[in-house]
Amino acid sequence: MSHDTLRRPCPVRSAGPAPAAAARRRRHWTRRPNRLAGLGSVLWLAVVIVPIYAMITTSLTRQDEALGKNALTPPADPTLENYGTVLDNGFGHFLLNTALAAAAVVAIVLVLCVPLSYVAVRTRGFWSGAAFRLFLLGVAIPAQAVVIPLYLMIAKLNLYDSLLAVVLPTAAFAMPVSVLILTGTLRDISEEMYEAMALDGASPTRMLFQLVIPMAKGGISTVVVYAALQAWNGFLFPLIFTQSDGPRVLTLGLFNYVSQFGVNIPALLASVVLSGIPIFAVYLVARRALVGGLMGVGGK
Amino acid sequence: MSPSVTTRTKGGAGAGVRAGAGVRAGRPNAAWALPAVLFFGFFAVVPMALAFYLSFTKWNGLGDPQPAGLANWRKLLDDPRLTQSLTVTVLLTVVSWVFQTVVSLLLGVWAAGRQRNRAILSAVFFVPFLLSSTAISLLFYALLDPNFGLVRGDTLGSTSGAFLAIVFVGGWQFIPFHTLIYQGGARQIPEVLYQAAAMDGAGRCRQFLSITLPQLRNTATTSGVLMIVGSLTYFETVLILTQGGPGTDTAILPYLMYEAGFKNYDFGYASAVASFLVVAATALSLLLVRLTGFGAMRSTREGM
Amino acid sequence: MESYSRRWFLGAGATLVSAAGLTACGSGSGSGGSGGGAITAMVYGDDAVKIQVKSVDRFNASADAKRTKGKVKLQKIPGSEYPAKLRTAMGSPNAPDVFFNWGGGSIKAYRDANQLVDLTGTIESDPVLKNGFLPSVLTAGALGGKNYGIPMRGMQPVILFYNKTLFAEQKLQPPTSWDQLLDNNAKLKKAGITPFALGGSDIWPELMWLEYLVDRIGGPEVFDRIKNGDSSGWDDPAVLKAAETVRQLIDDGAFGKGYSSVAYTNGGAPAMFAKGKAAMHLMGSWEYSTQLGKFPDFAKKDLGWCAFPKYDGGAGDIRNVVGNPTNYWSVNARTSNKDAAIAFLRDCASEAYTKDLIANGDVPATANAAGLLDASPNPEFAKFQYQMVQQAPAFTLSWDQAVDPDVQTPMLTEINKLFVGKSSPSRFVAALKGLK
Repeated sequence: MSHDTLRRPCPVRSAGPAPAAAARRRRHWTRRPNRLAGLGSVLWLAVVIVPIYAMITTSLTRQDEALGKNALTPPADPTLENYGTVLDNGFGHFLLNTALAAAAVVAIVLVLCVPLSYVAVRTRGFWSGAAFRLFLLGVAIPAQAVVIPLYLMIAKLNLYDSLLAVVLPTAAFAMPVSVLILTGTLRDISEEMYEAMALDGASPTRMLFQLVIPMAKGGISTVVVYAALQAWNGFLFPLIFTQSDGPRVLTLGLFNYVSQFGVNIPALLASVVLSGIPIFAVYLVARRALVGGLMGVGGK
Repeated sequence: MSPSVTTRTKGGAGAGVRAGAGVRAGRPNAAWALPAVLFFGFFAVVPMALAFYLSFTKWNGLGDPQPAGLANWRKLLDDPRLTQSLTVTVLLTVVSWVFQTVVSLLLGVWAAGRQRNRAILSAVFFVPFLLSSTAISLLFYALLDPNFGLVRGDTLGSTSGAFLAIVFVGGWQFIPFHTLIYQGGARQIPEVLYQAAAMDGAGRCRQFLSITLPQLRNTATTSGVLMIVGSLTYFETVLILTQGGPGTDTAILPYLMYEAGFKNYDFGYASAVASFLVVAATALSLLLVRLTGFGAMRSTREGM
Repeated sequence: MESYSRRWFLGAGATLVSAAGLTACGSGSGSGGSGGGAITAMVYGDDAVKIQVKSVDRFNASADAKRTKGKVKLQKIPGSEYPAKLRTAMGSPNAPDVFFNWGGGSIKAYRDANQLVDLTGTIESDPVLKNGFLPSVLTAGALGGKNYGIPMRGMQPVILFYNKTLFAEQKLQPPTSWDQLLDNNAKLKKAGITPFALGGSDIWPELMWLEYLVDRIGGPEVFDRIKNGDSSGWDDPAVLKAAETVRQLIDDGAFGKGYSSVAYTNGGAPAMFAKGKAAMHLMGSWEYSTQLGKFPDFAKKDLGWCAFPKYDGGAGDIRNVVGNPTNYWSVNARTSNKDAAIAFLRDCASEAYTKDLIANGDVPATANAAGLLDASPNPEFAKFQYQMVQQAPAFTLSWDQAVDPDVQTPMLTEINKLFVGKSSPSRFVAALKGLK
């Protein structure tokens, strides 16, 4: 394969392979139970569950009790005081900041990347190709590499220690993968559909809103999940670009608890549990969308 | 900008051909891409250029950077820590890739089955991915405490212990995601292939090796690329779990840069490390794109 | 379309952020602030920060605050990342007006960049400041004979703490000589007790061992030479001897096995000590307040303290002290309200401030402290510490604060390598000589 793969013209593809695929999926994977695989999965279950279990039980233990006992034994006298400690230390505020940052990152990424991907897929020419390749190259550039020059720029722009200082670069570094996901989805919209709209006299702008966006819902939801995750996980940008309590996001708040709570491991773990609860709630409510979106990151 | 660009269909090999089929649909002006390009340029490309510029200066974070010629680059190439760091980074990437691929492949194929218990377990397996890397690093930092943790011992104090802890923690977080990718891939393998194999008397092992694995080739590529790119970002894990230690044994490239910049305040040298990282990552990107055609982001469908 | 979407983005972004009032947090301070008005004070956010919180409240309600039209806003930076945070903040337009530091090398870069207010004249002309602090502590934070800082925390000599109850059980005496220390170690190990708790993953607790050993073996002159920029000072036989002694202690199991992944900052080492897993702990005087906060019973009943023992045949006096004299407030030269900043610093010399420090278990570096120490939660310990510093022939500033910041991290890395066995004593010396 070569670069040509990337510039490949949009193939004509029927829009709805869905029913066929669904039928194909409704099959029986194996006839008899696979004991080896069963064993392996139970093993992995332990790997996943034990740390989570230890985390939850420890977070319910009083500090002096936790120092003496094994993390796996349940607390003799469960307490919620560690959660109180965490909530008293600005947790809610940090969570709100993270939510705001995530919403802003998602909004920026969508507003910028959808038109770009539309152009990259529909408009042939030097400039649209160059734009696409620019983002392609950005895929493997780790954000860490530019944190120092970004710090310099952010200080000069007077953005230092504001939430925008976190949002803007996070959005920029979420763009390459988002563009790849979106162009992948947009290529599936067939030429015939554009032509049908053109017959109605639709302009490219109307096509964007009435054809491209509705047809790219899958890709867009993937981008939403992906971009939100970037903001949710972001650590280095907040660490370097913010200092005060005001714009502190959750990851940085958690990191600071290490020195604030010290050996108060129960409180530390309570903060980890709390940080997982909101997104766990999202997971429970919208598991399908979330999982579907993530599968999209992997190319559907 | 210039509206005439709209109808240009020059270039792409097949683009003009299809246009003959009927009414020519209007194409968006290339200028629509401009906001995204400008934004990305300003917050990603300009800083990269600036990193190169800073690598030729001496700057301690206060005042303005002073020109320093090639001093930082000479120091970088002489620095035994660069070699060590590069080795650790590559090793971490490779070991993580193997660990995550093996586990996610097996789990993903297993989870592709439609049984109810598998669906429930898959939902549980996914939970670690919901926590942020910072939260997960903190969790294991607490669990690995040598005196009061779950695994008591000098795990993070020995080179291999610290290294494996980082590999494990990275895997614990990202395996759920890659399992999902493999699950999606495995579900797209046509059933007829298995039916045919079963008729030929192939056992489960045989089927796995000669149908499942080859059919998942493209999935493995996608997942592998994401793993390799992802492992360059284990920075938080290193910062929280080991601080690059014991000694300097787990100081991956991003951590080396962080240390030079934000502990020694030698931002010029740190920028040289950063520039090196950009060059290495771009080369890796190009290589991956060439080798895999990943850019099309549709590799898993190729097999259909 | 292009301009439409861009305007939308800018508008939406701005509305989103300003609606939440989040941009307000970083602005309005430092050189970016408009003349007069509020100033920010950036402080290391540990347990003792409550004293600065009270000080700020006191100042903001005072007549001085009205006169200078300045209110202080305290910015607590938790964690070990404080020095990095300070550096990035000082390089940005949102620099703090007043900031916490360790004096000496920790503020050298800011002085060189003309970011510090020279307080020498102010102190000379203001009796409250001039007579308020122990002169030796004021000088210890000076650079090139000029004062840039006002003491704002307790004294922090490094002390050998021990578990009185454990020592009584094992029939041991606190060591005054090195042989006695080794003898104690052997008995403790036989009883299955780790002789010393050590938070090796923080590295600076390891540094304390070398600081004292070099002082006891070669005297305070050895590090003095190094501090003044003579890196061949590392070649002094005392440094090699100290490194070899450390190696021996490690090989003997004096620190147990897992010390390199035990941290002080997360309380791991103090917990080991308090829970009787280790019998002694070489640590700054803040260990007392730490234990009082986390394990009050242990702090009150079992905690004992003594000077670091003499090294037999060594040149150093047993009364010599290493550690940090105290912490300081310094003033940013670009502050928008210098009068308010200096008025705020004067509160550190007040009796109320001194009392708060003493109540926290600290020994203030203020002139009026001596008479107030009886109010300390542990007057015995407070007086021991005060006399220790007062009578010390030499007070060596912690190496990591004394050396040039460029050398600090590499030096700590080499020390860590020595302690984890990645380097030998002779390679350690060679590596330190090569720094710079």
